Amino acid sequence: MAKRENGTGVYKSLRGQEIGVITRGSLVEGLEMKLDARQNIEDMKAGKFVVIEGDKNDFFSMVTDMRLDANNQEVLLHPPRQEDELLRQVLSGTSTYNIVSLRPMLMMPKGADGDEGPRPVKAIPSHFSQVQDAMEEDVAKIFGREGDEQGKYFSIGSPLDMDTPVCIDMVRFAERSNGIFGKTGTGKSFLTRLALCGLIHFDKAVNLIFDMHNEYGFKAMKETGQSNSTFVKGLKQLFGERVAIFSLDPQSTRARGVQPDHEVYISYDQVTVDDVATLQDELKLNPTAVESAYLVYAIYKDRWLRTLLAQEGPDVEEFAKEIGAHPGSLVALHRKLKRLENFPFMVQKGHEDGDVVDRIMEYLDRGINVVLEFGQQTSMLCYLLVANIISRRIHEMYVKKSERFYSTQKPEDQPRQLMITIEEAHKFLNPSAAKQTIFGTIAREMRKYYVSLLVVDQRPSGIDDEVLSQIGTRITALLNDEKDIQAVLTGVSGTDGLRSVLASLDSKQQALVIGHAVPMPVVIKTREYGAQFYRDMGCLDDVPPAERRAQVEKKTNALYGDN
Amino acid sequence: MSTIGESSNPLSRFMSDESNAINASSGPERSHVGEVVESSTTELVAEARQLHGAPSFGQFVRVDSEVPIVGIVFNVFTHSIEPNRRPTAYGKTEDELRLEQPQIFELLRTEFQALVIGYLDEMGPVQILPPQPARIHSFVHVCSEDQIRAFTHTDDYMRCILNTVKVPTDELLIAALRQTMRAHGGDRAYLVRMGKELSRLLGDDYDRLSSIVRRAAY
Repeated sequence: MAKRENGTGVYKSLRGQEIGVITRGSLVEGLEMKLDARQNIEDMKAGKFVVIEGDKNDFFSMVTDMRLDANNQEVLLHPPRQEDELLRQVLSGTSTYNIVSLRPMLMMPKGADGDEGPRPVKAIPSHFSQVQDAMEEDVAKIFGREGDEQGKYFSIGSPLDMDTPVCIDMVRFAERSNGIFGKTGTGKSFLTRLALCGLIHFDKAVNLIFDMHNEYGFKAMKETGQSNSTFVKGLKQLFGERVAIFSLDPQSTRARGVQPDHEVYISYDQVTVDDVATLQDELKLNPTAVESAYLVYAIYKDRWLRTLLAQEGPDVEEFAKEIGAHPGSLVALHRKLKRLENFPFMVQKGHEDGDVVDRIMEYLDRGINVVLEFGQQTSMLCYLLVANIISRRIHEMYVKKSERFYSTQKPEDQPRQLMITIEEAHKFLNPSAAKQTIFGTIAREMRKYYVSLLVVDQRPSGIDDEVLSQIGTRITALLNDEKDIQAVLTGVSGTDGLRSVLASLDSKQQALVIGHAVPMPVVIKTREYGAQFYRDMGCLDDVPPAERRAQVEKKTNALYGDN
Repeated sequence: MSTIGESSNPLSRFMSDESNAINASSGPERSHVGEVVESSTTELVAEARQLHGAPSFGQFVRVDSEVPIVGIVFNVFTHSIEPNRRPTAYGKTEDELRLEQPQIFELLRTEFQALVIGYLDEMGPVQILPPQPARIHSFVHVCSEDQIRAFTHTDDYMRCILNTVKVPTDELLIAALRQTMRAHGGDRAYLVRMGKELSRLLGDDYDRLSSIVRRAAY
């Protein structure tokens, strides 16, 4: 007896409780674990983060699937009666047992120090390797810790059933285009706001946000599921002068109690034929309409739209003959483009404030993030038009700036990394539009010109595959549609397991993060966007006065010395 | 570890069986329940000290032999001491018979058979058959609850029972399990653990497992 106890007492684990042992599996298909009989299968949630302790390596893995199994058909044919608790206990773990599928994501040699970070999995652990719950150190080892000296890790949540922060590498996040996906009402806006806060707080990229639903600039409503909705702080409130609000609909912005930093007007001369081409779907233009527009452009250049819209009904046919276009086609184009005149922000000539794009550029150059609010102008047509016009111009400027930097190679000429946030991205990036809109170009060209996208969308299957495959980091809330899931996982290897994880996320506050900015896919419970977060972001509004004074004093001392 | 090892081992090692027997019979308490009359490596037959005084079916017994041997009682029988004479029915209660014909009880013997399942060495209980069978005339004691607990910490005794052909395996298992349950303070977790082992030992035989577990817990 004593010998045996000594024998079994030998293995000691550095981590938490053993939850099972590896029984079978392969590198390609993932591993299977027999769940320890003491564990409850209900604790094994899809997406849970566990560690397999091999002989030489620790394998960081994700729970992807579970299965109930029995070694004997008899048991299944004559299951123990409900009141036969004892027999059920006896059978559990022996005749009836649970198999949990694991997908190893990273491996790390045992006893490796910080330099020797986690690596992709190229081996599998041997039979009967122990599987344990991941501990705080494991998470920190893989995802880094917020508050490191380079300031690149930003916590966006914690793994399921754990309180340890999961961080994304903001430098890597900023250097590629990223996507935030999820069904409506699953917290896309909150995730986006979190990601933007991270970018702004750690100053890894300057942001241009096309804020279709006025959610990011100034306070936004939080869906609590009850009648008493609460409001959360917007970027302007958190970061003050580092965020500027531009508004297409100043009246609406003011009505919400916000003074926009700048009002946006767009003159007809700023609209190019390409911009109209991207509206093909929204305006239901036929292909010849675009050709007609080019004919007008060929003669009137920048003034083409102004000139065309200046024509009155019967004159259009005449005008068509004049320029040699097909009258019917041009009449249709004219009729449809008339809709643009209804937009209050469309003006005949450049505004006295100067060109809005120059203004935005000016802000961006100074490192000030720009939120472009659409106010009441929430039609898709308006959003597409404005986002396209502005992004096209800004992209052009960035291309010039980048080229200058390439020629001078002076560090001061290096453009600031710019991230453009677009919502309803499938409208810009669907297979037909992606080839025409500037966003398709940005998504493909990636970081060459220091511009990347933050794509926010609820229907990722509508986005062009080519664009999707270039997306670096995907933060995905719940998706149900098989096509959407498929789309989100485009360009990610080893997706079999992730599919089930993605479909089983909670509808609130849970997301799967995959891609460039995280070493391994991970399911997170998103970080609480509340008072503590505001404080972490350096916003002192809600801090009690005494503490606030102390903090300000501390910072003053740090700045000017203690005297 | 075990109380058996400490209490009986040092003495029995240096004393002959005879002196042991004298000691036991002349001592203040005679704790044995029987005396070995037939012995082999795998089982033994002992005569109960008193008529009808055999340990119960499934009880754990210990034989004071050179190495103390542990067994489980799997059969108890009472018969006439003369092989050729059978007791006859008198149609009277036992009390009446004792008054009228006390001699007939002297002609009866109770014996029991025990399955050898292991022995005790210096380190504690060992679930291996002893190197030598118990000696004839060794005394048989009922194991204390501590001893049972120590001996049944692992499940090997169940395998011993299952592998024996002559005994009513299932019934013996149930009786033994109920014994050990009691020794373990009615600990349900213990029964579950043993049940799991049993499930492994019985392999595919789910009916048998469920019947044993249900009856053992009854």
